Amino acid sequence: MDEFEREMRQAFERRPAPPGLKRKLMEKRRTRKSYDSFFTWQRLAASLVLTAVLAGGFEWRNIQERRKEEAAREQVMTALRITSHALNRMNARLASRRRGTQD
Amino acid sequence: MAHDWQPDFEHLVDQHQSMVFSLALRMTGDRGLAEEIAQDVFLELDRNLGRIENADHACFWLRRVAMSRSTDAMRRRRVRGIDLWVEMEDVHGVATEDRATPLSARLEQLLATLSEPQRAALILRYQEDLTPEEIANTLDQPLATVKSHLQRGLKLLRARAQSHLKEYVRDNKFAGGLTDGRI
Repeated sequence: MDEFEREMRQAFERRPAPPGLKRKLMEKRRTRKSYDSFFTWQRLAASLVLTAVLAGGFEWRNIQERRKEEAAREQVMTALRITSHALNRMNARLASRRRGTQD
Repeated sequence: MAHDWQPDFEHLVDQHQSMVFSLALRMTGDRGLAEEIAQDVFLELDRNLGRIENADHACFWLRRVAMSRSTDAMRRRRVRGIDLWVEMEDVHGVATEDRATPLSARLEQLLATLSEPQRAALILRYQEDLTPEEIANTLDQPLATVKSHLQRGLKLLRARAQSHLKEYVRDNKFAGGLTDGRI
């Protein structure tokens, strides 16, 4: 190492950090931590709301489908009742006609 | 991999704030920006504390991030058209007299005239006393590139020091060292 390089080492010695650097840094760190925790809670709350909305939507769709099923079943039952009633009348008519031919 | 080392953030700040600040200051030449960079680097360290394996790793990590953040800051400022490297003592009141010799003070100013990669290599070499291999590792550059930056940077600095500091050359104090061009 020559004189110039020794001079370089001397010139490039570490400078002391500004006196307030650590204090400012620790303040920023505290702020960031509380900011982070606020956002963590906010994200958690948003996820819960989103989950609730999705679950509600899913449940609402299920209820709607069940209602439609009920309505369809009702319609089938009504159709069956009408058919049964018609068949009964037809049966009664056939029975009375059979009785008439026997007499 | 699990490691036993328990990092203490405040202790790391105490231990390395001068290093990180000096790296940023010499890379950018702006005290205010250097302070901002130092804060950002330590906040980043705080976020990544779990990944730091030991004290040496922390030091390596801080050097690496400080250098890359400084380069990024300069790039951003360049994009905005601001000439960043201002003469430190003129703008920020860093007294030239604090330096051991006027050559030391001038060398720091002359550093600004070098290209960024040359400056980075020389700072790590002479401030942090790193070997070219360690510099290559820190800057994530090939060893040959780092050696070339060191050689060329030092040569340029010698030449510029020679022309700026004629009084020293006249005294013949550095006449041998200023002309031989070794690292």
